Amino acid sequence: RLPSRPPHSWRGKMEGGKAYSDGVFAHLEMLEARAREAAVKQEEMEQQEEKLARLKARVQELRLQRDELRAKVELQEKGQLGKGGVVSDPAQPSARAVLEWKIKSVKATLQVFYLTGISGKLTKRGVCFCISTAYEGTYLDSYCLDLLIKPEVRIHRHSVPVFIPLEQIAKKYLQTDIRRFLSVLSDHLNAYAGRRYQADQLQEHFSDQIEGTLQRNSLCNLLIFNYNVSSKSQTFLLRVRLLYGDLCCSLPTEVVVSCAPDAPASLAEMAAAHSDLFRRTALHKAFRSFGSADKS
Amino acid sequence: MDNSICQVYEEIQSLEEEIKLLAEKYEDNQHESTFFSDEEIVMSIKSFQREFQRGSKAHESPSDLKSELESLEADLSFLMKFTGIQFTSHYKKTLEKTKNRTVQKHRLSGNCHSLSFQLEFQLLEIQNKESVSAVITDLSIIMESGEDSDMSKFVSSTEEHGNLLTFFRSLSSYAEWYEHRRCTFLHFK
Repeated sequence: RLPSRPPHSWRGKMEGGKAYSDGVFAHLEMLEARAREAAVKQEEMEQQEEKLARLKARVQELRLQRDELRAKVELQEKGQLGKGGVVSDPAQPSARAVLEWKIKSVKATLQVFYLTGISGKLTKRGVCFCISTAYEGTYLDSYCLDLLIKPEVRIHRHSVPVFIPLEQIAKKYLQTDIRRFLSVLSDHLNAYAGRRYQADQLQEHFSDQIEGTLQRNSLCNLLIFNYNVSSKSQTFLLRVRLLYGDLCCSLPTEVVVSCAPDAPASLAEMAAAHSDLFRRTALHKAFRSFGSADKS
Repeated sequence: MDNSICQVYEEIQSLEEEIKLLAEKYEDNQHESTFFSDEEIVMSIKSFQREFQRGSKAHESPSDLKSELESLEADLSFLMKFTGIQFTSHYKKTLEKTKNRTVQKHRLSGNCHSLSFQLEFQLLEIQNKESVSAVITDLSIIMESGEDSDMSKFVSSTEEHGNLLTFFRSLSSYAEWYEHRRCTFLHFK
């Protein structure tokens, strides 16, 4: 049993030598424990300080490196490093540097092909084509097809979604005209990407005008939703059904805009006007024009 | 103590990122302000092979670089032949480069079958959580056969909406048709 009181309070309770020596040892042990703890804490603190000092030295190193690089880039931009590629010998670039430059340039031009809509890479057994999609200036998903060319052209692997009629298109064109095959497939994919983009843009930027959920199928060629319009400071609900019958087109072939049977005549007129607009204009652009048109 | 160590770690991380971007910027500037002709390339390949045979310490053998270049050039030449789009020059300049955003200016000239074009545009690439999004802005197109009124209407509409992809796809099919028509006329002459 170790007394937890400081020494002076049990001097009075001493009952014989053994109790005294037990107490002294207990006290000594406690002092030792305290000293150990203090030493450990001291060591930890010293380690932390060392660590901080090392890290601060690293920061100095990095700052120096950063400043050197900044100066190099500034010189470059002022045109003082001149042509040639390699800094160490600006007048005579090494053969390796020249080759690496050429490799980087060819890679950059290959990347531009991605922007044209059809890019690809030769493989051991054929070609791997990549069809890119875009809506106006925004590039969307790209889809790849790994083609084998012997004994006949066939699709080994692809990342085209299942709802795109790939087999139909392949059956019609793959054997006779690969270019045409890719072009038709690209039309389908770009139209699909364009329809999906319009629906996404609508949900992203005009969600406050949409009531409930926007129903769409995976091919994004059928959209049904309700949206509110204001007329003479009253809000009404219109329901629209968009059917994109031409899978290579990102504008609908059939539009039905309906309102409640008890709605005023002006609303029916608005519904007809909207129906016409949706047939001619991209969905999100149509909604953008609503925002600037009726401010009632 | 923990707080100051944390702050120092943050500063180290931000410095490392800055250094990485600066190094990339240096490489880009270096690359974009340099040009080597085809003869210089061929000479370099030969000299590189000679250097290697003489036993210099190249950790990457010349055949690796040479075959990489040959494979890339084969891909490029295949694409140009297949699509009919030949690029005769490509100039690229990095205007802005941060951790998540890169803006590049491109100048391209080439032809699609017999139709020549010159393009200029800016390409903005943004790094999202899972992917990279790319947007074309400031598109400017010059067509050699620009007198055709249908063509100029098509070109201005394309420029207005940044429709680079549509431009190339339409150009490709128009050029094929144009070529076919030209050959047909020649046939009947």
